[in-house]
Amino acid sequence: MSATTRIFDPTAPAGDLPQLARRTLDGLIGKTIGFIDNAKPNFNFLVEDLAAEFVKNHGVKALVTRRKRGASIPADDAMIREIAARCDIVITGSGD
Amino acid sequence: MTKLGPLALTICSSAFVKLGRAQAAACGYPDLPIAVVPHPFSSRSRADVRALAAQCAADIAQLVANSEAGEKSGVRAAIATRAALFEVDDDLNAINAFIMQKRWGDGLPVIPPTPERVEAMLCGSARCADEVIARVAPGFGAATVERIAINAVMAGCEPAHLPLLIAATSAVCECPFNLQGVQTTTDPVAVWLIVNGPVAQQLNMNSGANCLGQGNWANATLGRALRLILQNIGVALPGEMDRATQGQPGKISFCCAENEAENPWQPLHVERGFQREQSTVTVVGAEGTMNMHSYGKNADDILRVFADTMMHGPSNEYVHGGEPWIVLSPEHAEILHDAGYSKADVQAKLWERSKMQAGRMTPEDMGRAQASRTAAYGPIDADTWLTIAHTPHDIAIIVAGGPGAHTVYIPCFGNTRSVTKSID
Repeated sequence: MSATTRIFDPTAPAGDLPQLARRTLDGLIGKTIGFIDNAKPNFNFLVEDLAAEFVKNHGVKALVTRRKRGASIPADDAMIREIAARCDIVITGSGD
Repeated sequence: MTKLGPLALTICSSAFVKLGRAQAAACGYPDLPIAVVPHPFSSRSRADVRALAAQCAADIAQLVANSEAGEKSGVRAAIATRAALFEVDDDLNAINAFIMQKRWGDGLPVIPPTPERVEAMLCGSARCADEVIARVAPGFGAATVERIAINAVMAGCEPAHLPLLIAATSAVCECPFNLQGVQTTTDPVAVWLIVNGPVAQQLNMNSGANCLGQGNWANATLGRALRLILQNIGVALPGEMDRATQGQPGKISFCCAENEAENPWQPLHVERGFQREQSTVTVVGAEGTMNMHSYGKNADDILRVFADTMMHGPSNEYVHGGEPWIVLSPEHAEILHDAGYSKADVQAKLWERSKMQAGRMTPEDMGRAQASRTAAYGPIDADTWLTIAHTPHDIAIIVAGGPGAHTVYIPCFGNTRSVTKSID
């Protein structure tokens, strides 16, 4: 039997931040949807088309669209507060 | 967002779903609804986007309807502050194979982080092993002193290096650095460490010839250790949460000291309000190094060609207003100083001469600049002269390197600002 030694795990667990309750909804009808446009090319067009789809085909009542300064930075606090106060659902984007 | 009330939902391009899921889990929302659009998305035609929108809207409606099943009651996971131990065969090759299999390394062999070595490393700092220095994005793992020490051992550091690594870890987690963006971007951004003050000599760091290259123990292992900390504690594995398209060699190690002895002006840390006899580390979200080789003897000629080099269309610095770095060789610094220029003069001239018309960018990138800088500039069109940084002072200048007519331009990631911390 070969000798053994012990080594430390250099990683830290991800996801050990408090897990909070999230709101649930039964559908889109009558809801207000907020978009945070991440300023990547084409996301503004997707937001525009989704907004039209939601109103025309999914019974969405109102839309709030805001644009971040850039994809690699968080939305500013005022934008988050405003959109959180006004919307039932908030849609963001990630990727290229 | 979810904490504040509304149901949050994200749209990811397909290549980024893994990042989206990992990021959501790291933030405590493992069941965040994610709608997927095909990757690449940003290069699609307007008609393609329109065609995808109807399906995406239906997917989102379905995700919202299904959200009823995903309600959580507010579970709080225990924060693990002590590192786990593994028992492995006592053989260097076997240990390294185990570490590579676990994806704990950077591709090069590491020093096994045994309890004895980690204990010795911890003697380099008076801090408690379980003290949490920071939460490291994007996984938000707890960077305890012990975990920093473990990664330092793996990188080949000595105990005397530990306080510098603790300061660097704290620095990258400051808000202006934007570690979340730095760690998850497709950009080839690395974290560059610049060391100032007496500690550079105490650790025998290289600030002279080949200071950004190979050959110095402290430079090489400190940069390497920070990368392991970012990867292992920040949970930023290449191809997963680290989304770099190519990355760059500086992501293995990127560290030097400033050549204060040959700097005719104030060194970086003094410029930033520290005493000359204090030791500091500065963290920079740096893209690659661009050599600027000039035998120019005239200060204005040299600054003109430097400014020309900094100016390029596909630059994040012009999109956002960046923090470009100039690593002046001692010879170039002497020419500029002898011409009567202060560091502020050099910054002002480079800022003025590197203005670039937005039309040099692609229309799509000009659109990014419009989103990012319209508040500062007003309307931006192809004829707008964009500056590389918001102010001349945002052009950062250090003196480093040895003999030779080479100065280096190091573009920053764009949405990041360097942070300088005292080494205690």
